[in-house]
Amino acid sequence: MSSLDWFILLGTLAFIVVWGVWKTRGVATAQEYLRGTDLRWPTIGLSIMATQASAITFLSVPGQAYEDGMRFVQFYFGLPIAMVIICVVFVPIYYRLNVMTAYAYLEQRFDTKVRVLAALLVMVGRGLAAGISIYAPAIILSSLLGWSLNAMTLLMGSAVILYTVSGGAKAVSQTQKQQMVVILAGILIAAVVIAYRLPDDVSVATATSLAGALGRVNPVDFSFNLDSRYTFWSGITGGLFLALSYFGTDQSQVQRYLGGRSMAESRLGLLFNGILKIPMQFLILFIGVLVFAFYLFERPPVFFNGPTLEAARQSAQGPALAEVEARWATTFDARRDQAVALAAALADDDAAAEAQARAGLLAAQAELDGVRAEAKALIKQAVPTAELKDSDYIFVSFVLKYLPPGLIGLLLAVILSAAMSSTASELNALGSTTVVDLYQRLWRPGASDRHILRASKLFTVFWGLVAMAFAAFAALVDNLIQAVNILGSIFYGVILGIFLVAFFLKWVRATPAFLAALLAQTGVIVLYFVSDIGFLWFNVIGCALVVGAAALLQAVWPGGSPTPAPLEETT
Amino acid sequence: MAPEDPPPLLGTWPRLYALVLLNLALMVLGFWLFERVFG
Repeated sequence: MSSLDWFILLGTLAFIVVWGVWKTRGVATAQEYLRGTDLRWPTIGLSIMATQASAITFLSVPGQAYEDGMRFVQFYFGLPIAMVIICVVFVPIYYRLNVMTAYAYLEQRFDTKVRVLAALLVMVGRGLAAGISIYAPAIILSSLLGWSLNAMTLLMGSAVILYTVSGGAKAVSQTQKQQMVVILAGILIAAVVIAYRLPDDVSVATATSLAGALGRVNPVDFSFNLDSRYTFWSGITGGLFLALSYFGTDQSQVQRYLGGRSMAESRLGLLFNGILKIPMQFLILFIGVLVFAFYLFERPPVFFNGPTLEAARQSAQGPALAEVEARWATTFDARRDQAVALAAALADDDAAAEAQARAGLLAAQAELDGVRAEAKALIKQAVPTAELKDSDYIFVSFVLKYLPPGLIGLLLAVILSAAMSSTASELNALGSTTVVDLYQRLWRPGASDRHILRASKLFTVFWGLVAMAFAAFAALVDNLIQAVNILGSIFYGVILGIFLVAFFLKWVRATPAFLAALLAQTGVIVLYFVSDIGFLWFNVIGCALVVGAAALLQAVWPGGSPTPAPLEETT
Repeated sequence: MAPEDPPPLLGTWPRLYALVLLNLALMVLGFWLFERVFG
């Protein structure tokens, strides 16, 4: 990296941290620290988006488009519907009860054990996700740039802990506004620069058509296939349930909009996310498609994790790998010729030539895929611990190799900003939930505001250290963004089910709801291990199991907990 | 704004919600057309 890149990277990150600490230096009460106050809707909207957009978004998603096309965008189709439902149902209840965390409501509606169970389920999911949020960029950037993994984890974790502990929820939201501006600017600039890097005679439209000929332009799939991870139907149902649960019941998101100046500001922030989230994801996927089109003309490495590839070259498998890499080069040339032929046919509007070139391009791609598979098999023999799925390395290795000085620093700042923004929300939420739903509720109910503020800061530091420890010792999982989403889907459906029972099944009491949640969570975990069901469906299944089991158990459980008193303001 | 104030756009919350859902429908339609043209 050049000095300019270092200047832009460190300058951007330092500015955001210092600005966050300075801007929120007056935070002196637990209410301000845990919930934030007086936020306007643009800050809330950007904060909600920044919380969800982790570094994994920028490392994994373009690579996913490169390998598999754009169908991942369907994952977000349920999100705008969820935003509307949350505005109508969830937000008024949280505001009326003036809750500090979403789970405080469950105690009003059911009892302490349901509140604690929901808080614990979220803490398990979020605690692991916070670790992955730090680990994901650290493992990839340390591998490609030769930085120390532990130093990166320590640096990122410490910076996030610094401003989160300093200013709490307000600092998180204020810094996320800056981080989201950096992220959006970075995405737009990256898209323009990649388009500019295409060959002179290949327009963006032609590049998109070439990628489309190889199955990368597939943002909508209306087929009803339960095994397919991303379809319109899984997005509009499973994605809806996941988004409802994530934005409606996960404290890392609830905390963002509870800090609004009014209910109207909170609602506008949520709707802002409902309108902008899908275009943003589409653009990130489209960047992956453009990178794929770029590599139709510029030979990509046979394996994108450079250090692992180099290790394999130096091993006993080196000669065999060299032979495969030589075939990779000639097969790539054949595919490039077919891509040039298809581009020419498209320009000439020659249908016969186009059909012939499309068939040729598909055949060349299949051959290239075969050579890549051979290379991966050799790499596995050479480096048995190597992770063969290298899609998380595609975008960042492209950035490092082909973007001009300055932009590399900006794109790395984007990735690290995203990592810090989502981690900060998670730590802030974990600290709040631990203090409000466990510490204050179970052990120190009469503690002073000053004591709660201090405990909140200490628990935030504690969770930050847990996340950093997890990040330091975790092993690379198959695909980082999917790992986070799978983890979320296993827990979120059940949590949403608890909230839906609370909102809509007024006759269900605490013990049946509690047992239903335990049964449903066990059922989802068993299903995850024994079935091939796409993970998005676990959100629907978990939620339906809780609602169904709660209604059934209540019917056969006449001696459940007493009917709760009318809901009152709580914390 | 008071808690139950109308939104700054379109006058009522249901209209704003309808706009968000209409935007979703238009995006899906746009993606489908995008796939038909380039896919």
